[in-house]
Amino acid sequence: MNKGMVFGGRAACFLPIFLVLCLTRNSNILPVAEAIWLTIPSSGTKCVSEEIQSNVVVLGDYYVIDENNPDHIPTISARVTSPFGNNLHHNENATHGQFAFTTSESGNYLACFWKDGSHQKDSELTLGVDWKTGIAAKDWESVAKKEKIEGVELVLRRLQGIVETIRGNLIYLRDREADMREVSEATNARVAWFSIMSLGVCIAVSVLQIWYLKRYFVKKKLI
Amino acid sequence: MERKWRKISGLIGLLLLNFMNNVSSLSLTITKVECVYEIVRFEGDIVSGNFVVVDHHIFWSSDHPGIDFSITSPGGDILHNLKGTSGDKFSFKAPRSGLYQFCFHNPLSTPETIALYIHIGHIPNEHNLAKNEHVDPINVKIAELREALEAVTTEQKYLKARDAVHRRTNESTKKRVIGYTVGEYILLTIASVLQVVYIRRLFSKSVGYNRI
Repeated sequence: MNKGMVFGGRAACFLPIFLVLCLTRNSNILPVAEAIWLTIPSSGTKCVSEEIQSNVVVLGDYYVIDENNPDHIPTISARVTSPFGNNLHHNENATHGQFAFTTSESGNYLACFWKDGSHQKDSELTLGVDWKTGIAAKDWESVAKKEKIEGVELVLRRLQGIVETIRGNLIYLRDREADMREVSEATNARVAWFSIMSLGVCIAVSVLQIWYLKRYFVKKKLI
Repeated sequence: MERKWRKISGLIGLLLLNFMNNVSSLSLTITKVECVYEIVRFEGDIVSGNFVVVDHHIFWSSDHPGIDFSITSPGGDILHNLKGTSGDKFSFKAPRSGLYQFCFHNPLSTPETIALYIHIGHIPNEHNLAKNEHVDPINVKIAELREALEAVTTEQKYLKARDAVHRRTNESTKKRVIGYTVGEYILLTIASVLQVVYIRRLFSKSVGYNRI
């Protein structure tokens, strides 16, 4: 009982800290370091892309990391484009930002970042990008609230989501492999057919040549 | 009372698991050197991932040197060094926490696109918590299960990237077959027509004047 009470007391102590971390996740106060860091060159853009299927939720969060001068953080601009060229998110002169969208077409989604013209120092800056697609982007807190589940059951529900994603991926890979098999077999048939036809074209052309030249020489009374 | 503590510990475990897994999947274009950094928060975490060079085999000649890949730990040691690859998997146990650097180097000047996937997995154990706390074994088992599922997902990402490369090669082969064959026919016809025209020209004046 004593151990439980101590643990409970410490749990009560930890709970508000974790809640604070949860709430401040998407702001710049406490950037939770879950992201990948890139360096943005002093001139030029840095682009990251991902091939995403349609009907997938994409959640993105980017923030500038600069330990040198914390009161004068350099700003960047960002743009996210869909594979058809539509502009999904555009932000200028910001130190952090987020975007969320559901993909309507499958293809290559591109997120580009570049330094703003106002900070023309020749230093590269570090940008943290947190890019989540599919099941990783799902908001589990709202699911927990809506269905009133918590603890182990919620975690198991997340694992079930991961398993369903795995199954979806397997089906996708299987369909792609079937498509590619069809393309391979069509190419195989074409190679055989075109090679035989090229032999036929060769023979036909040479027969025509000989026939034409014979007629020409007969006309010119050389034969 | 007991149920209440169990619920709270379950919630803590859930929140811990919420922040513990780290997945990054993206494609980069590399002109010369490109480095990606990732923070590993606990020593002993398993970092696994893969990368595939997406548009090779079509434009690479047989003597292309490939892409160099290296992983550097926060202490500066190079954990993994691959030269001249077109895609590979990697997995290691992080010797310490901190910023890990994943670098690609392109020896030629043509830009290459690389699809990268990194997964950092953490399994809670007694080592990371304070002395009075106790890790619920069910949380450890759930973390292990989740790591196994993430390993499957990592493998699937690799397969997807390789499938995309293979598909590009296939479509390029199909286009090449059609293009080169039709071009071959046309060239054959043009060559034979030119032959006939040339022979005609040789015999155009009367034979008596131009003995060949």
